[in-house]
Amino acid sequence: MATPDNPRDTNAVAEAVIDEEHKGFPVIWLLPLVAVLVGAWLIYKTVSETGPSITISFETAEGIQAGKTRIKYRDVEVGKVDSVNFSDDISRILLKVVMNPGTKDFLTDQTRFWVVKPRIGAGGVSGLGTLVSGAYIAMEPSQEGKPAEKFIGLEKPPVVTADVEGTSYQLRAKKLGSVSIGAPVYFRQFDVGEITEYRLSDDHSHVDIGFFVRAPHDQYIREGTRFWNAGGVNLTLSATGMQLEMESIVSLLTGGIAFETLPKHADSPAAQAGTVFTLYDNHGDILEDPITIAHTFITRYSGSVRGLAPGAPVEFRGIRLGTVKSIEIGYDPEHEGVTIPIVLIDLEPERLQNFALVDKAVSAVEIQEETLRETVKRVAYAVREKGMRARLQTGNLITGALYVDLEFFPDADPASLVMDGEYPEIPTLPNPLEGILIGFNKIIDKLEAARLEDTLSNLNELMASTNELVGTLGQNAPALASELQATIEEAHATLSSIRAMASTDGEIGNELYNALVEITAAARSIRVMSEYLERHPEALIKGKGNP
Amino acid sequence: MRAIDRSLASCHTCGLLLQLTPGKHTSCPRCGDAVHLRKTNSIRNTWALLLAAIAMYLPANVLPIMTVTSLGNTQSDTIMSGVIYFLKHGDWPLALVIFTASVLVPLLKMLALTYLLLSVQRKSPLRKNQRTRLYRITELVGRWSMVDVFVVALMAALVQVGELATIQPAMGAVAFASVVILTMLAAMAFDPRLIWDNHGVHDGNT
Repeated sequence: MATPDNPRDTNAVAEAVIDEEHKGFPVIWLLPLVAVLVGAWLIYKTVSETGPSITISFETAEGIQAGKTRIKYRDVEVGKVDSVNFSDDISRILLKVVMNPGTKDFLTDQTRFWVVKPRIGAGGVSGLGTLVSGAYIAMEPSQEGKPAEKFIGLEKPPVVTADVEGTSYQLRAKKLGSVSIGAPVYFRQFDVGEITEYRLSDDHSHVDIGFFVRAPHDQYIREGTRFWNAGGVNLTLSATGMQLEMESIVSLLTGGIAFETLPKHADSPAAQAGTVFTLYDNHGDILEDPITIAHTFITRYSGSVRGLAPGAPVEFRGIRLGTVKSIEIGYDPEHEGVTIPIVLIDLEPERLQNFALVDKAVSAVEIQEETLRETVKRVAYAVREKGMRARLQTGNLITGALYVDLEFFPDADPASLVMDGEYPEIPTLPNPLEGILIGFNKIIDKLEAARLEDTLSNLNELMASTNELVGTLGQNAPALASELQATIEEAHATLSSIRAMASTDGEIGNELYNALVEITAAARSIRVMSEYLERHPEALIKGKGNP
Repeated sequence: MRAIDRSLASCHTCGLLLQLTPGKHTSCPRCGDAVHLRKTNSIRNTWALLLAAIAMYLPANVLPIMTVTSLGNTQSDTIMSGVIYFLKHGDWPLALVIFTASVLVPLLKMLALTYLLLSVQRKSPLRKNQRTRLYRITELVGRWSMVDVFVVALMAALVQVGELATIQPAMGAVAFASVVILTMLAAMAFDPRLIWDNHGVHDGNT
């Protein structure tokens, strides 16, 4: 530092006051520190508040606008479509979506997205509001599953959204029937759920149908609950008559299923979600327990089996015991070379309560074997001792459907169960119509059996004696004839004399004629008198007088 | 010859010329205000303010400066997104103005101050006139960067039409205002005489 070299100058300049030194931490350095902290905090806050960015792919971008289309959950905006792009192979549309902060936990591989736009579907009209507001993408959040950033949007809104409480189950059906997605599930004709999906099983052997039952109705789905196809109209014509079933008008259009828990299954445990049930064809089918044990018997009929179909009932005094299994044609054991209808029937012992043989056996197989043995034993006894016979009966006069009737005929010819074939054979009787014909035949037989020839000889004798009688009559005839001739001639004479008398020329006739003339004159004079009296009634008293 | 060479300084408040004792904190005997030969801790303070400005520059550009809510549509804009918006719509002069005032100027200001500080600390003898001019421009131009902040403030105050349109300032505006203010303060903290102090050393020996 240079020192002042001119004292004059120094004198002219005032001395500055020397202050106390106060050394300390340079506070100014806190400023960049604070700035860095504030900047870092601002950026962290913004970044943390930025929601996750996800990609949703759709088949088309109909109604979707980049920067405008919203993602909504329960009508609250949770995100926005940032850009719309093609996938690499341009087969799909990729929507880049910026979600709101805090939605990350709800974006898992279970989360579903779909475009909400006006739709007319089975369940009615939906999404009308989007006519004005434009389409939006609805989100169904899910906290289950793994976090995801790429989603495949649903082309159709899901039938059941996650916010509806309830349970999903599966159905297995032989055919789809009238089931459609969104079709109702009925319980006591009350709409309690929807069909959510259907697809062919992997091996195409049946149809898998998914359905959803809303709480609290799902508690009525028991393991023993039966489901049947309630869609459309079910018209059944069978030996039991005509049945028409219809669940509701909606189900007529969209199809649907219904369920019912039979009282005997009411105590079965509640079904777990995803339980697979069997879909029955109609309500009637669910009433019958599934048949697991059946023993096949063979019956042969001499008459026609037209009207009998597989599945027709086998009844004993109106109680169903089994089912017609098949109708074939086979050799008649009684007549060489003749074929007759053979009907295989299944007797189902489970239909009878007293066939429960659970006590006797241990395993299911044993129960089954024991039951079948018992069945054959009882049938054999019934045939042998009670005269049980199978016959075809007309179940329905209109359709002519037949069923197999088992009945006791104590008077029938003794027979027993034929055990030598593949199946035991139950002896048969012709059906009642045939029976009538046979009755006629029997009458004729009896007529034949009566001693008709004797009668004829008697008749001959009668005729002969009659002839004799006629012969004697012939011998006396000429005398009789001449007498008759005389009688006739006399009668003729009498009649002619009577005629002569009766004519006007005859005595009687002339007299009669004169009498009539007199009567006529009398009548005239009476008329004249009565006319005069009418004019001159006084003449009765005064007499005629002079005119 | 410089005032500092003689330890002479005039009071910043009352203008009294004073003989200072080098290395000591001094004050004016007449008005009592502190008197320095140079701005105290000029380089240190400038560095601190400059670094703070740099720290705020990132959030100022990354964060949205305002949020426009119009008919339920919410849109947040950063400075650059606004520039790009105008550029896309063909308003490139406007885009240029915004870009210059809001992005380029603060950036150049910070670069300029950094250059000045480094050159002073390295006692660079080069381009003293240019550097002085650079400082003057820096100080002069700095305040114009506040245009953006004013726009946001005015818009936020004016556009409050409920559902139709609402504009709200966002954190980016705060950060941006901080950048502008901090750079202005940094420019003020810098003592341009420091540029010439080295000159004095060279010349003083001659």
